[in-house]
Amino acid sequence: MAYDKPMPQVTELNRLFWEGARRHELLVQRCHPCGHMWFPPLPNCTRCLSTDIEWVATSGRGTVFSVIVYHQGWLPGYKEDLPYDVAIVELEEGVRVISNIVEIEPERIEIGMRVVATFDDIDEETSIPRFKPA
Amino acid sequence: MPTVIKDKACIVGVGGTPQGRLPEHGADDIAIWAFQLALEDAGIEKSQVDGLLVQQSFGGGGDIKNVGRRLGMEPTIASNISHQGEAIIMAASLITVGICNVVACLYGTNQRTNRNRFGHTSYNLGGNLNDVYGMSNPGAVAALNFRRRMHDFGATQEQLGAVAVAQSKGASMNPMAVYRDALTIDDYLAARYVIWPLRLMDFSMISDGGFAVILTSAERAKDFRKPPVYVHSIGAQASFLDMEHPSAMYHPSQVPNAKMLWESSELKHKDIDAMYVQDAYTPNVLSALENYGFCELGTAHEWIQGGRIELGGDLPVNVNGGQNRMSYMVGWHNTFDAVQQLRNEAEERSRQVPNAQAALCTYSSGQWRETWSAIYRR
Repeated sequence: MAYDKPMPQVTELNRLFWEGARRHELLVQRCHPCGHMWFPPLPNCTRCLSTDIEWVATSGRGTVFSVIVYHQGWLPGYKEDLPYDVAIVELEEGVRVISNIVEIEPERIEIGMRVVATFDDIDEETSIPRFKPA
Repeated sequence: MPTVIKDKACIVGVGGTPQGRLPEHGADDIAIWAFQLALEDAGIEKSQVDGLLVQQSFGGGGDIKNVGRRLGMEPTIASNISHQGEAIIMAASLITVGICNVVACLYGTNQRTNRNRFGHTSYNLGGNLNDVYGMSNPGAVAALNFRRRMHDFGATQEQLGAVAVAQSKGASMNPMAVYRDALTIDDYLAARYVIWPLRLMDFSMISDGGFAVILTSAERAKDFRKPPVYVHSIGAQASFLDMEHPSAMYHPSQVPNAKMLWESSELKHKDIDAMYVQDAYTPNVLSALENYGFCELGTAHEWIQGGRIELGGDLPVNVNGGQNRMSYMVGWHNTFDAVQQLRNEAEERSRQVPNAQAALCTYSSGQWRETWSAIYRR
């Protein structure tokens, strides 16, 4: 079945993230001068305001920081996929990202659970990073 | 520091339109309607107002140019403000420094009729990253927060239900409340999940309605027909760091806000007769009780049990019914109700907090962009 959930809107700000995902790498931003790391992307470092920013690959490994389960849907594709989970994953590098945990029933996802990135290959150009139990 | 404005400005008029569905009225009609009610309450003419602050409505309306044009006024200051707390801070400041004598703060919305939807709300400079993962509805932030509270502090869903139950009790006695049925904990637990672990009754409704507040200086207040309610103390704190990414749990930006609030006052927690929390989602009440110092971090879900935050309890919270029972009025309904309580004029007498002397109003925007608090006293 065709993928009917929201597709990434690629912008100048997030383009390198999605290109990384296509290579099955989970990237975050890092400030070159001060080393601060963050996600989602911003045009400058919020710590030192430098615009000298690089995208760096993470290990893709982390733990579940918090998790919720949607029983009502608003977005196409997700509305038909209830219940589904959304989680905050804390990466080994310390950066927290929003994602889904897959390959497990939503109600069995626990805070602190170790997870690892997995990449959904949607089409020729797009892969969406998600996480599965490690 | 804010001690400069302590007790310098007073609320001398409030107005509130009917709440719920007002399909015959646009957002600006409703704001102007509320203003007229507040002028009547204050016993003044619009020509006496020299400061006009208007919050724009979610879903359109409230542009100061349009509202100002329709009001036929030439105030010294006319401006859009971003939320109710900012309106009170700006009004009290303008009055304290003498730029304005009488400031009116207005909010009107018809977002229920307009079917404004928050389902897709996402502040994200980085594109539609939240949508890609199905993270819609700002309530997701509150749900992630409460899920973490369950893990960190052993909170249960039944404990959280005490918030909705308490607020429904107040709403059942509030003629302005949209939902007036008093809930039991069983009603709460039987309600469907929207975003687990939060249920339907943990979410704010969307409603039409409007409120207006008129302030003047303590010196001028005696010329008005109602007893003044003083803006006694104010706290505020902006926090942009977590706007896009809700990883900071338990609304930490309220902590410096609360510090500012209490340091500007000789009042203590025991002196607060009624508390109001911007409860877009019920877990906000738990965080506010902790951050404003009524109980320790990680204990509010226990602290609120046994009717403690209900009318007649130690600290009645959102006795107007809050946003999930009274109306979705982004804090304006709280200042309105606090003033009524402090004037001892709650319409339904059973809803009056006996001999209310001081009320604490708190506000946090859904994405934690800004927090605000004020102690009002009679």
